[in-house]
Amino acid sequence: MFAFVVKNLAFLKAVPLLPLVFDSLLRLRVFFIKPEILDWLDELEAEASTWPGMSMAVHKYGGLQFNYRGKEIAHLHSNGLLDSRKTKTKLILEGRIQEHHVFAKSGWISFYLRSKDGLDYAKKLLLAAYLKKHQGNLKAEF
Amino acid sequence: MNKKIYEFEVIKGFILSNIFAFIVIAVSRFLKPDPGIFVYAEFVIVPLLMGIISAWCWKNMEIKGKRLTGFSCLNGALAILLSAIFLGEGVICLVIVSPLIFAFIITGVFIGRAMFRKDNTNLNISIFSFLFMLFIVDSVSKHHYENLVSDVIVINAPAKEVWKHVVAFKQIEKKNEFWLFRIGMPSPVAATVDGYYEGAGRKCIFSNGYIFDEKIVVYRPGQDLTFDIVNQPKDPEIMGHIDILRGQFLLKDNGNGTTTLTGNSWYRLYVFPLWYYDVWAESITRNVHLRVMEHIKELSESR
Repeated sequence: MFAFVVKNLAFLKAVPLLPLVFDSLLRLRVFFIKPEILDWLDELEAEASTWPGMSMAVHKYGGLQFNYRGKEIAHLHSNGLLDSRKTKTKLILEGRIQEHHVFAKSGWISFYLRSKDGLDYAKKLLLAAYLKKHQGNLKAEF
Repeated sequence: MNKKIYEFEVIKGFILSNIFAFIVIAVSRFLKPDPGIFVYAEFVIVPLLMGIISAWCWKNMEIKGKRLTGFSCLNGALAILLSAIFLGEGVICLVIVSPLIFAFIITGVFIGRAMFRKDNTNLNISIFSFLFMLFIVDSVSKHHYENLVSDVIVINAPAKEVWKHVVAFKQIEKKNEFWLFRIGMPSPVAATVDGYYEGAGRKCIFSNGYIFDEKIVVYRPGQDLTFDIVNQPKDPEIMGHIDILRGQFLLKDNGNGTTTLTGNSWYRLYVFPLWYYDVWAESITRNVHLRVMEHIKELSESR
């Protein structure tokens, strides 16, 4: 259903609030059908919030946005889809992530968080996106 | 946080948001040009503000996303239960309205959480005021919406035969397929007439015994039966939310022994937003049409 909406009704994302409401419906569905996904999302959020310079916000198309020093590095839809800035080609070669589910070859990648094992991988992806920005930032400072 | 304080804060979030909603809806009854109409603001802005109010009550509790979702569902269920008690809404109405309420309360809670994390008082007051202003503007605006739903089927029988079953028809025995009819929404079961002429009374009888009183306004045998609804049943599921204004059956002889039967219904909606409720109204009207028209088809073809 998510893929259908994103593919066919993407033009509706311009309607104020609508993507957020859609994400809430995804969250509601996950809450009743596979609530453990929401635990994993919480765990990912809790971990990322301990990294220096990170903050969270509501993503403009729904879900949780991870910002490093106010700039977005990833976002997490409530169905467990993590969209992150591309970090290493090696990660794509591992075959677990795919090009961004809407914007292919945009420098963004997507990963579906569907299992506890996937949570560790999602953390790894998020950390890689974070470190890329963080280290770039450190180099610029020194 | 102490367990008792935690529970108190959670309950405070439920109570304050629901009190707010009921006060605002009560005030809007006075503001609205037509108090019988439920406007967009009541189903969208109010749940959104309820979510934001709850998030404000819970802002220092560091509640995780999953639990916030659960609390939002409980809050929505409480609001729906209170609507059933104080507004006298029927079960089907509540089933229809619940996705809107849940979705906007959850959205409000997560927007609220982000707002209160930033703790920018000016921004928060601006957002709250903007939403409240939208509520007022929508409440005082005039709302009027009428629509026509049209359905067509081809019947393998001549128009003369089909006409016999259009004006009045005996009991529909077929099991309901539409899920809303299955869970208790009344569906049409029979139609009777006082006479076969313009001005005659017609009754459309529904499964729960409710009757739509109709008056035939166009009677052209084999071609056109149009009737105005002169009295709507006092069903809590539809009372005040939708009025069926007029119904029509048009028959077209296809010249090959088949007939094209068109069913039209005109209705007026009293619930907004249209992008949500009109989808339901169209779907329900279409399923009423199809149930009757397929029954007419079956009777006509089994001659």
